[in-house]
Amino acid sequence: MQPFTTLTAIAAPLDIAKIDTGMIVPGRFQRLPRRPGHADYARVFLHDLRFDENEQPRAEFILNHAAYREAGILVTGPDFGCGSSREAAAYATLDSGVRALIGASFGDVYRGNCMQNGVLTIVLPAPVISGLMTQLKAAPGAAITVDLALQTVTAPDGSTHGFDIDATRKERLLKGLDDVGVTLQHLAQIETFEKQYRADMPWLASIL
Amino acid sequence: MNPPVSIFDRLWARHVIVADATGAGGEDLLFVDRNLVHEGGTFLAFDQMRGEGRQVLKPKQTLAVTDHYLPSTNRATAPGSIANAEIRRVVEALDHNAREFGIEHYGVHHPRQGIIHVIGPELGWTQPGLLITCCDSHTATHGALGALPIPIGQSNQLRHVLATQTIWQKKPKTMRISIEGTLPAQVSAKDVILSIIARIGIGGASGHAVEYAGSAIRALSMEGRMTLCNMSIEAGARIGMIAPDDTTYAYLHGRPFAPKDTDWDQALAYWRTLPSDADARFDRELSLNTSELAPMVSWGTSPEDSSPITGSVPDPASMADAEKRGRVQRALDYMKLAPGTPLAGINIDRVFIGSCTNARIEDLRAAAEVVKGRKAVIPAMVVPGSSAVKRQAESEGLDRIFLAAGFEWRDASCSMCGGSNGDTVAAGQRSASTTNRNFEGRQGPGALTHIMSPAMAAAAAVTGRLTDVRTL
Repeated sequence: MQPFTTLTAIAAPLDIAKIDTGMIVPGRFQRLPRRPGHADYARVFLHDLRFDENEQPRAEFILNHAAYREAGILVTGPDFGCGSSREAAAYATLDSGVRALIGASFGDVYRGNCMQNGVLTIVLPAPVISGLMTQLKAAPGAAITVDLALQTVTAPDGSTHGFDIDATRKERLLKGLDDVGVTLQHLAQIETFEKQYRADMPWLASIL
Repeated sequence: MNPPVSIFDRLWARHVIVADATGAGGEDLLFVDRNLVHEGGTFLAFDQMRGEGRQVLKPKQTLAVTDHYLPSTNRATAPGSIANAEIRRVVEALDHNAREFGIEHYGVHHPRQGIIHVIGPELGWTQPGLLITCCDSHTATHGALGALPIPIGQSNQLRHVLATQTIWQKKPKTMRISIEGTLPAQVSAKDVILSIIARIGIGGASGHAVEYAGSAIRALSMEGRMTLCNMSIEAGARIGMIAPDDTTYAYLHGRPFAPKDTDWDQALAYWRTLPSDADARFDRELSLNTSELAPMVSWGTSPEDSSPITGSVPDPASMADAEKRGRVQRALDYMKLAPGTPLAGINIDRVFIGSCTNARIEDLRAAAEVVKGRKAVIPAMVVPGSSAVKRQAESEGLDRIFLAAGFEWRDASCSMCGGSNGDTVAAGQRSASTTNRNFEGRQGPGALTHIMSPAMAAAAAVTGRLTDVRTL
């Protein structure tokens, strides 16, 4: 996983409520293979919002505007990523070049998937989000800065907003640590736990 | 004396291997008793493990089943005969991966094949007290038996469970939803959960593990409890649970993976210690009165957009909150519905009875009860939740009732719930569906989905309209 420390990037105001993971990656694209280093899921990110039935870009959709081609941050409407647990949604977000999402709320499973794949999701109060949306719409292509160590978001107008993040996720994002590698350092504890667990619940042994 | 705890707190504590060491609200490392895998997207996890040269640490604690992409017809020649090459590749990949990594797999021709959240409980693989992971957002279904269910991602998180038999999780807050009293006639578990979601919204229980409690919940059958827990995610909760009781134990006894003989006695003694203590505290409490409950249907593009069938399509113009007004207007534009239209009477083009929410034997019985002696006036299909449910329904003659009424009677798969296998609702067609999601495009691009109970979907099939089953 690529570490996440600080990011200054063009931020796009994606001001639509309840974009579910099926809109982030429509079900028919979940069959796509994904090769390391190829960003194979970039083209399916928000596919049906970005493209019409003839695969032509929808001119009116915000991420198709020239100012947002290089957006690395999305400011999202409430409940972004609700719905199905498809990890493809997190992959598509990452592959499309987005490293941070800032919104008032997110789907829990999607949020977890993003964090484990190096995409930082930041929750800020609804009035702050609405202020960011207003600033970004007024100045298309404006940048936002995210500092994970300090847990701050700096808006185009210079105002700074603190955010909370789970301490485990913060550490792993900062260092780019893969969960499996971290866990395997605890292998001895896992084995000790399991031995005691099975001793306490002997009936589980006969059916595994 | 120990402080009183909820079943959720008890099971969480029982599975902690490494407690959060950050001291700042970080994640615990939890032991995973059992893990369920389906073919949708999971090839990504196996591809990555293969690339890294990793093994599955405890292959016997994972069970794989094919459900999302399997065709619901012409199964004898599947998977070779699946016309869409991408779908065929996904189905074949799980078979291949399960064999390579040494995991038991119930594939297309296995007598135990079915939808993952149907077969887990049905086989007794799901048991009270077990921490169960599954790469699917409807994993909370297993909480209906008093298990601790945790939905995970299909790739990175699944890879972690396969490689380590553990999962890192931040402990959510707790919420108890209590329903006391007796459910009115024709009000099913589906109507209860849609009422809850309509009340608290699609993010209403986010960050919480929900326990459903109260006399109305206790009175539900296991099938009803599974329907209820299944849709917890539609209220934002990844975890939904019901404490085990005699209904649970009677359901489990004798099932293939259930403990037997003295093992059963030991397990039962443990299970009886699991329910929440009487004075356990929850971070949030919500109570519903059964007298408020009625058969429900959705009118919009989120499960929270649901109303009693006696209601009407809401008018966004009357909504004070601008954000809500905009979202509802967008939903009504998509659904091609005018504000104020009575829900009962809206024309329906096709009916789907199936999915991990409502395709168990009791669901099929409820639908058949409505259909019996009537004819479907629009295309309608029943897709049983498992091959075992299909056999059971056929032994009860339910297939003949559906076929005589003009329904299609298909083979177990997720089918038209998400349309992964190609069973989709055509653009602009309006469907009455027993599934869990009415998101834009969920049943196919441009599909207009109304979700409801099996009895209500059956009523729509025989009238061609959204219909209050109580008036039929």
